[in-house]
Amino acid sequence: MDLNYAAADESFRERARAWLQENAPKSPRPAELMAAGAYDRAWQRKLHDGGFAGLNWPKAFGGRGLSVVQQMIWFEEVARARAPALNSTLIGLQHGGPTLIVHGSDAQKAFHLPRILSGESIWCQGFSEPGAGSDLAALRTRGTVEGDELVVNGQKMWTSFAHFADYQELLVRTDPDAKRHAGLSWVICDMKSPGISIQPIKNMMGETHVNMVFYDDVRIPLSNVVGGLGNGWKVAMSTLSIERALAFLPDQIDMLEKVERLTELARRVRLETGKLAIDDDEIRRKLGRLRAETLAMRAMTISNISGLERDGQLGPEGSIAKLFVSTGYKALSELAGEILGYEFLEYGEDRTTNRWTFEFMWSWVLTIAGGSSEIQREIIADTLLQLPRAR
Amino acid sequence: MNLNLSAEEEQIVTSVRGALARIAPISRFHRGGDARLTGELRAEAAALGWFGLGLPEEAGGVGCGPIEEMLLYREVGRGLGPVSMLYVSLAAHIASLAGDVSLASELAAGVHGVALVVDDPGGGSRIFDPDGADYAFRLTDGDRADLITLKGAKLDARHSLDKSASMAIGDLSQARVVVGCEDASVRRLAQLGAAAMLVGAAEAMRDMIGEYAKLRQTFGRAIGAYQAVRHPISDMAVRCEAARSQLFVAAICVRDARADCDLQLDAAKTLANVAAVKNADSNIQLHGGIAVTDEHDAHLFMKRAQTLSRLFGAERTLLSRLALASAAN
Repeated sequence: MDLNYAAADESFRERARAWLQENAPKSPRPAELMAAGAYDRAWQRKLHDGGFAGLNWPKAFGGRGLSVVQQMIWFEEVARARAPALNSTLIGLQHGGPTLIVHGSDAQKAFHLPRILSGESIWCQGFSEPGAGSDLAALRTRGTVEGDELVVNGQKMWTSFAHFADYQELLVRTDPDAKRHAGLSWVICDMKSPGISIQPIKNMMGETHVNMVFYDDVRIPLSNVVGGLGNGWKVAMSTLSIERALAFLPDQIDMLEKVERLTELARRVRLETGKLAIDDDEIRRKLGRLRAETLAMRAMTISNISGLERDGQLGPEGSIAKLFVSTGYKALSELAGEILGYEFLEYGEDRTTNRWTFEFMWSWVLTIAGGSSEIQREIIADTLLQLPRAR
Repeated sequence: MNLNLSAEEEQIVTSVRGALARIAPISRFHRGGDARLTGELRAEAAALGWFGLGLPEEAGGVGCGPIEEMLLYREVGRGLGPVSMLYVSLAAHIASLAGDVSLASELAAGVHGVALVVDDPGGGSRIFDPDGADYAFRLTDGDRADLITLKGAKLDARHSLDKSASMAIGDLSQARVVVGCEDASVRRLAQLGAAAMLVGAAEAMRDMIGEYAKLRQTFGRAIGAYQAVRHPISDMAVRCEAARSQLFVAAICVRDARADCDLQLDAAKTLANVAAVKNADSNIQLHGGIAVTDEHDAHLFMKRAQTLSRLFGAERTLLSRLALASAAN
């Protein structure tokens, strides 16, 4: 057991830090949707040209093939440099691309992988539906084989960045007679296809980057099916396990910094009692607990990375980390609200108007999206504790 | 960057777990058994090398370090070995750091019982485990650690919630210091050992209810199939995993004397306190009526959690220190 970085890791950190200092955008990501998309593409292009694209992808597919430790270092340095996080490029880089690497045909890989790495293609996700969230296998969007095409009809939900995405990882039911997990297929959908319409969903934070996507006789070539017709569940699960392994790393790293910022806030702000927030026993204790939990999140990340390096995969520990991080995030944003008092109420329909109020509302996204807390507890009960099931 | 246990470390865990179940099984708490660290048990633990595990070989020790001691005490917590085993280890460290090799060797050999003395906020001293103890150790402001003699001390015996310990109050302000040292490692090992015992206990409680939830049937199915039962057990597992990860990090920080060592220890003790105290609550609640009976083990773990969460870092002290820790850490 040790906490030291290997020499190669230290030198990677130095290189990453120097490059980020030189190249991180000076201007913040624009709030307007299409401008934000252009910003993400430009940043990905820069990462690609600088040799920092596809850090987790094998070298054979144009990636960097970095160890998990070095990926963690990269996320830490991105946070330190206040460089842009993965935004609209996330699905392509962390889900779509890695899925193609495992299950895609040579033609699919040759066409899509370089475009994802360079920022030319932005991908979005088409998994969830109005009646299929936590229970993804309940999805009903149909894909009917007609000749060498799949004709898609139905509706997807919660698709981020659908407006400017070029492709979508789309999960559809291709065999209506097969039960639940069987009969699904994972296909690459060109978002410019006729028959696709997009309707933004305004969320409670006032923002509109997630969408409903409707499919009306959308024709997709059968050559866009990944992993074979009817194998969609298996293909999708490999994507989701990739998501769970490292998805919460940036949130965990952000938490360390947010606790610092909240402590600074508590040293400045007066409560209705007239006391500085930091001098209030209750607030001080909550801050102390958050700092302890934040340190433990990092410890848990190191523990999970160690397990991943040893076993090549992450088990229910991913669900444990997700529950712990999202619960801590919620406690942090609630405490910010408590400290801010009236100022918490100054919010103007966009995150830049009041960062802490935005975080407070965003915390529900973390405890619901990517498998709600209740689903994570089910996964832990099923796989780690091996408890009997009622399902 | 690695928190996996090595094969040797796994071996320590397995052998301690097996030996403890043999020399101090949890069943000793029941049917009039003596759950304390008796002279006999002390000799057996000493023969296994436990009290000298982290001591240098020239002081009669095994020559291992904080990682191995942490793993030992995690197992002691899991198997409800007497808390005062940690006091004997720490006394041996004090003697060794003070340069008294012969006393360190005697302590490692299990010759002496050792008590813990803390200031009682109401005045005077509170003594944990004075029965059969020749010495007591005391941690004072800063990094001072002293071993004092209990010979001739007038103690007023009190009841002890945890039956593996005894308790007394008294005035030890005039007690003679036998050896002492000015070294942060004693309080660090004390905090690490207590956190480790709490984590082991929290894990044992998670496993205890996990097993029971597979067996116990209500309304025609195992209780572990009900979300009202399985979700709180999942939360117990989350608390264990957070506390265990942080405990391992803290142990490495102590071994390597890293700059953020005290901060990491405070976080480890905080999470260990929470894991053990909350898991004790869930364990009793989810077991139902059987868990409030004396014959069941659930209350033994609850009493242990209540004891250890007050020692070497109680909630208020820890949280205040953590909140005010500078951003530089």
